[in-house]
Amino acid sequence: MAKASKFLRNFCIIAHIDHGKSTIADRIMELTGQVSKRDMEEQLLDSMDIERERGITIKLTPVRMYYNALDGNEYEFNLIDTPGHVDFTYEVSRSLAACEGALVVVDATQGVEAQTLANVYLALENNLELVPVINKIDLPSARIDETKEEIEEVIGLDASEAPCVSAKEGTNIRDILEAVVKFIPPPEGDTKDALRALIFDSYYDNYKGVILFVRIRDGQVKVGDKIRTFLSERTYDVTEVGAFAPHLQPKSVLLAGEVGYIAASIKSIEDVEVGDTVTFADRPAKEPLPGYKKVQPVVFCGIYPLDGSKFGDLKEAILKRKLNDAALTFEPDNSVALGFGFRCGFLGLLHMEIVQERIEREFNLDIITTAPSVSYLVHKTNGETLSVDNPSHLPPPTDIEYMEEPIVKAEIYTPPEYVGSIMELCQDKRGVYKNMTYLDARRVRLDYLLPLNEIVYDFFDELKSRTKGYASFDYELDGYQRSKLVKLDILLNGEACDALSTIVHEDHAYKRGRMLAENLKDAIPRQLFEIPIQAAVGGKIIARETVKAVRKDVLAKCYGGDITRKKKLLEKQKEGKKRMRQVGTVEVPSEVFMEILKTNKDRK
Amino acid sequence: MAGIYLHIPFCKQKCRYCDFVSFAGRSDVAEAYMACLLKEIELRGKELAGRTFDTVYFGGGTPSVVDPKYIYAAMRQIKKCFTLAARPEITIEMNPGTVSEQKIAMYKRAGINRFSIGLQTAIDAQLEELGRVHTVRDYLYCTSLLKGENFSADVMLGIRGQTQEDVRKTIEIASASGAKHISMYALQPEDGTPIYTDYLNGELPDGDEVAALYDFGRALLAEKGYHRYEVSNFCKKGFESRHNLNYWKRGEYVGMGVSASSFFSGRRLLNTTDLDEYMKCILSGFLPVIDSEEVTPQEARFEFVMLGLRTVYGVSSKAYREAFGTDWKEDFAAAYRRTQRYLEEDGDVTRIKDDYLFVQNQILSEYAG
Repeated sequence: MAKASKFLRNFCIIAHIDHGKSTIADRIMELTGQVSKRDMEEQLLDSMDIERERGITIKLTPVRMYYNALDGNEYEFNLIDTPGHVDFTYEVSRSLAACEGALVVVDATQGVEAQTLANVYLALENNLELVPVINKIDLPSARIDETKEEIEEVIGLDASEAPCVSAKEGTNIRDILEAVVKFIPPPEGDTKDALRALIFDSYYDNYKGVILFVRIRDGQVKVGDKIRTFLSERTYDVTEVGAFAPHLQPKSVLLAGEVGYIAASIKSIEDVEVGDTVTFADRPAKEPLPGYKKVQPVVFCGIYPLDGSKFGDLKEAILKRKLNDAALTFEPDNSVALGFGFRCGFLGLLHMEIVQERIEREFNLDIITTAPSVSYLVHKTNGETLSVDNPSHLPPPTDIEYMEEPIVKAEIYTPPEYVGSIMELCQDKRGVYKNMTYLDARRVRLDYLLPLNEIVYDFFDELKSRTKGYASFDYELDGYQRSKLVKLDILLNGEACDALSTIVHEDHAYKRGRMLAENLKDAIPRQLFEIPIQAAVGGKIIARETVKAVRKDVLAKCYGGDITRKKKLLEKQKEGKKRMRQVGTVEVPSEVFMEILKTNKDRK
Repeated sequence: MAGIYLHIPFCKQKCRYCDFVSFAGRSDVAEAYMACLLKEIELRGKELAGRTFDTVYFGGGTPSVVDPKYIYAAMRQIKKCFTLAARPEITIEMNPGTVSEQKIAMYKRAGINRFSIGLQTAIDAQLEELGRVHTVRDYLYCTSLLKGENFSADVMLGIRGQTQEDVRKTIEIASASGAKHISMYALQPEDGTPIYTDYLNGELPDGDEVAALYDFGRALLAEKGYHRYEVSNFCKKGFESRHNLNYWKRGEYVGMGVSASSFFSGRRLLNTTDLDEYMKCILSGFLPVIDSEEVTPQEARFEFVMLGLRTVYGVSSKAYREAFGTDWKEDFAAAYRRTQRYLEEDGDVTRIKDDYLFVQNQILSEYAG
């Protein structure tokens, strides 16, 4: 037996958005001397621009640190950051599988939130040791004792020894590190066993090929070893192993219990699946480690290159995204209005936005996305059942016996004063009331069944605006339900635009059609001719708006000095046109395909 | 065809919409500036020896605010350093309120035979609103000095509160004063000018309202015998501005003075827009050019189409072929196909249909880039 080091701690941080997870991670790194204060960019772990801009973590980023504890020993810490948003539960579960423990960060001014709870349950399923941490104690509205009570009541954790910190001010950060040493157990595993390493993440590096983020459960791996995974036949020679410091830092060997990376000149990004187990090619382990629960996409949209000739680039970008994002699904699609592209599936709306944004930024591609949809079950008159997530693939109404739509179980946490307004919203969104619980004097939990279709529409925004941002919301799929659904078509200058079709509940069709027509009227620029915009259900026009013809678009003066300037202006105007799609004779700005679902009030 | 442009950057005061390079209250340097201009004429004249120029244009600013002896001297220098064609068109821009009998006499002696007068509107309140220095009476006095002369009046559309009745009155006064040529422009609120704030606050007539004023003005002008030959330019038969036609035919021109631009030998040049830098350069014996760009063959083709389609003369296939050796409808096949329904063919010539001239950017931008 050669046990893993008892001076090793692998842990992650669980927190609701804004509860200070990344700031705590930054402080821990600062204190362990991992990053000097001077060099430190705010919130180092959130290394993507998108993450820093939005103040959220999407991608898990591991980092190794050394800590000299009060017991006189030096400990090696591997901190694996986790995303805080409901859409990224699968990323969380991956982080959890690589750890022995988790810090549960709770904001002393906000208390326990739905998302924290959801991740705590996940952590418990993974047998992690949980250490509560109370953050933001520097704020005047901090309620430390009440928060401790809530942690004990709602989560069921002992909060008596919970570190109370202010990550912003850097207060009591050492308490967290001592709690890690004291409460989180060292990893198990034997360095002499056959190699089993869980791939919990990966990305593609232009020079080194695919970089696998691994947690070594058993055995050890070093440069020159021949490896394979359980799901693939191919073997690879390890070219580099190392730790996250937080940037890649080569080491001679990775031992059982450690977290690190493996590079093995893996060229094809489709060859490795996150959740798979790495072992030796010549003396493989008997069985793989338990992987992750396969996640199912619930929100779908079309992604098309703005410039039709960039379809190949888009394909490459999506394939590379897929490497790091097991939850993303895609298949080729083509639209009359938008040309060739992909129909992609996501875990939720935020996941969708992030993927879109990353494709645009990291691959420098301009894309058009269509309005999000969900997956419907269509029962045809001939007895067939189809799963349809693209409105333009819906069979003709005469072939449809009935349709079913996905329903979610929604939990909404809110201060009591907003209960009335939220109930009204849920009712409006075809929700079915289930239960209401007073958690304490300041917080109520509402349980509803809601059609996912309505959540994809504008539920989040509405909830936020009706509760001044105080309500939090989480949901999980709860099967399908028969429903009266119709396809709402949009005709521009008499021609149907497939990319603007949506599936809506019959009772909402008229209102939605009206709103869509009005939104499109504002979003489509005036052109040389008048453009009628019609909303139609089953061939019947239910709403009409008109974009008037443009009457003035001229550069009044064009003499000697103006020529270069006017030329540039016209070139710019042409560039603008390139961002438009031709629907019949009408030019439609690309954003329109995504923005049509916004409500009127968002537009002004 | 080739033209000479001379920029006189001085004004009594800056109009609220003006974003030209012009300076109010710098008349102290007028003498030095005009001396520099003479020097630049000499330098450019040497470079362009052998070319014949058909037109000369004094623009501004307000050329009529400086002592007319400087205009006279500049013209003398032009004649000395450049070769002018027989019967050249020589224009000067003037603002009412800055002219006198003596000035006009001096201009005529200098050879000036065309006058362009900034009327803008015949409503005094609107003149004040625009920050103009003159009244309608000043305009009438000015034109009374130009009886029988070839002069043009500027009319502006899109002034705050402007009605069709105001446009009617303005055109009628311009016409009655004997203008052979009328330029009717839509006010372009440029960022950085005081009027831009009015525009941002929605205080100026919107595009539809301006278009309605334009259509009204265009009809009235036609009624009074002014035919439209370019989107903003109207005249009695035979009184087209030769200097401006040269721009739209993509002819060569040389511009002198601060901020003036030139186009010859396939290059577009721009002089510095900084008055002091301009003078410093000239005094050190350098041309004050800050930008010089060779026009690529593709840009040249676009310019030809863009400029041609501004006018009722349109694009001539023959002229295009002579200039570039190719067929313009093939060079711009996709754009031509997309815009064909807004164009009309007249023998060798293609032009924008009458009703679409005022929305021409929608058409021209198809040909860009």
